[in-house]
Amino acid sequence: MGKLVWHSYARFVSITASVYAVWAGFFGLFYRKFFWDFVGGTLRDPGGIQAPASAAPFIAIIVKVPVVQIASMILGMIMLVVEYPLPQIKEFAIYRSLAMRVVFLLIQVILNILYYQGTNAAIWSLIAAMCYTRAVMLGEEMKEAQENRGKGGIA
Amino acid sequence: MGENWFQREFMAPRRLAFNVFFYGLHVGLFAYGWYSQYSNVRLAGLNSLLWSVWISRGAGLVLALDGGLILLPMLRNIIRIIRPKLTWLFPADENIWFHRQVAYSMAFWSMVHTTAHYVNFINVERTQIRKQTALQIHYAQPGGITGHFMLLIMVVMYSTAHAKIRKECFEAFWYTHHLAFFFMLGLYTHATGCFVRDSVEPDLISTFPFYSTEHCLGYLSWRFIIWPGIIYFGERVWREIRARRATRLSKVLIHPSGAMELRIVKPSFKYVAGQWLFLQVPELSSLQWHPFTITSAPEDPYVSVHIRQVGDFTNALGERLGVGPSVVAAMTKAASKGYEKDSKDISRGNFVEVDPAMSSITLPQIRIDGPYGAPAEDVFDNEVAVLIGAGIGVTPFASILKHIWYRQKKGKLGSLRRVEFFWVCRDAPSFGWFQSLLSEVEAAQADPNFLRINIYLTQKINEDMLWNIAVNDAGADYDPLTLLRSRTMFGRPDWNSIYTRMREAIETGQYIPGSNSQLKTKVGTYFCGPSVLAKAIKEATVAHSNSNVEFSFAKEHF
Repeated sequence: MGKLVWHSYARFVSITASVYAVWAGFFGLFYRKFFWDFVGGTLRDPGGIQAPASAAPFIAIIVKVPVVQIASMILGMIMLVVEYPLPQIKEFAIYRSLAMRVVFLLIQVILNILYYQGTNAAIWSLIAAMCYTRAVMLGEEMKEAQENRGKGGIA
Repeated sequence: MGENWFQREFMAPRRLAFNVFFYGLHVGLFAYGWYSQYSNVRLAGLNSLLWSVWISRGAGLVLALDGGLILLPMLRNIIRIIRPKLTWLFPADENIWFHRQVAYSMAFWSMVHTTAHYVNFINVERTQIRKQTALQIHYAQPGGITGHFMLLIMVVMYSTAHAKIRKECFEAFWYTHHLAFFFMLGLYTHATGCFVRDSVEPDLISTFPFYSTEHCLGYLSWRFIIWPGIIYFGERVWREIRARRATRLSKVLIHPSGAMELRIVKPSFKYVAGQWLFLQVPELSSLQWHPFTITSAPEDPYVSVHIRQVGDFTNALGERLGVGPSVVAAMTKAASKGYEKDSKDISRGNFVEVDPAMSSITLPQIRIDGPYGAPAEDVFDNEVAVLIGAGIGVTPFASILKHIWYRQKKGKLGSLRRVEFFWVCRDAPSFGWFQSLLSEVEAAQADPNFLRINIYLTQKINEDMLWNIAVNDAGADYDPLTLLRSRTMFGRPDWNSIYTRMREAIETGQYIPGSNSQLKTKVGTYFCGPSVLAKAIKEATVAHSNSNVEFSFAKEHF
């Protein structure tokens, strides 16, 4: 019954995608692979696909040093802190910003689409970002948490 | 708080037994899957991928089990039939709970399985043990495609199934959960690519199932787990056929409290007291089925449901019948002012019938599906039945009380000697429709000791109301709020003292005339309402059971 509250739905997708991103980034540290290396790459036996020379910058930040994976893990954790949310973060007004989440999720999409393990995280983050965008378009707002919530016996 | 979430969910004796068995089975299967892959000499090629392939195969076997289990608790018609025979083994009315446990387990093992495969495929690409790239396996082979597809479906299904979303928008949950059809298709075809093989190329053949078992050495688990899927599909088809049988909405009554009573005639519909049904109004939506508790007794010539206009669907139904929220609000107002109190008949305003002959309103076509089970069916096995309804949770008891009344008239009460009926309710206006039924039942009681009605009003009352009650109550035959002979009590019931008194009364032999103290007295509690209250009552029943008196507890779910 009722009307779908898009931002509360998007939250669950976003949490799922972010958990996936952290986990994917973690495995990306050990099995480093540039997702788009098949574009112009050559298949070596053994060795797998070797990315073309034009992809060298990506190889540098994904395979040589796993910058993208680490960034993706950190961003995923930030998303989790925001979405879950960590109690300390509730006080800040920015916590209730849906637009900020869209931006963060889109960055998450870009980071995760770059490496092998992150594809699903990227797709799901994109879905979450679209749901949040829909929420923004519909003018949904997150309500301010009540001060006494979750403090049994005090209120 | 007493106990924390973990103790409550995992360590309560029954839960603990379930968890040990359920998760033990999963871990055991995982270990077997691991070992059977590890020790299979024909799969030596795959085994060069080491631990990741053992994990993925183990988790795959576990997922096959979960895929087979996930639909079992949803076979509503079969559960309704087997439940009475299996109550000792498992609480079958907890089917949604079991469905959720399987789903949680499925999410976890999917994570394990997928993670392992991401490692597998990158290693296949690097070692070129098969001349493929990782992305080819992921996105161009049946296993990879169906796997990613199932993961996406799971995200959508799980996220909309969260309690919060179901509350905010049940339709979102209801519609997306039908993606299960595609999920199951994906599951059954996940292994068709012949990934687990001892040959260089997949040994695909032109006849069903399109791969040969000579070289494709998967678990072939779909042969087993497809059956619940087929049975479930059959059950859905059967429900559709059954729902299409002749059904007629014969009467619509509007009670002053705003509840609509639909009286439906469907000769093929057989049910027992306390069950519920799915209702569909094709004019409003030809896809949505809404659950409602049956409020008529099996002896009645019709099936009735009482519907309060609280949500989208019920409001729309009200509008369709010409008694939308505005009309009802006016009626409720009139009723609470007590316009008809002066008249001789003791009731709080009468119901109004929506009559197609009198007004321009036509009654819509209607379809019902059911009935589906509820634990209150076995009331008659107890000597004493304690029926507790909280708020709107009182609805199943309308049917049960009526049914008990019919049985009492016929003198076929089974072992039932006494009925204690509790209604815990927040505010007075919602008494409306149920009050008319209760007064009927109360007036018909020949034996004052058979049925006792206890009504608790938990709302905070202000001073005016207090005085009003005090003045009107004194010396009156009927309770001023409910217009019943039984008095309304104020505040929350103290279950501990209620059960203590009941036990003492039973033990001293005052409670049930002619009962023998050597025999164990069975007292069944049937509850419908919020789970916080359920817990308190359950604790009281457990605490007061002893060798003479056995209190049992059952809770109904919506």
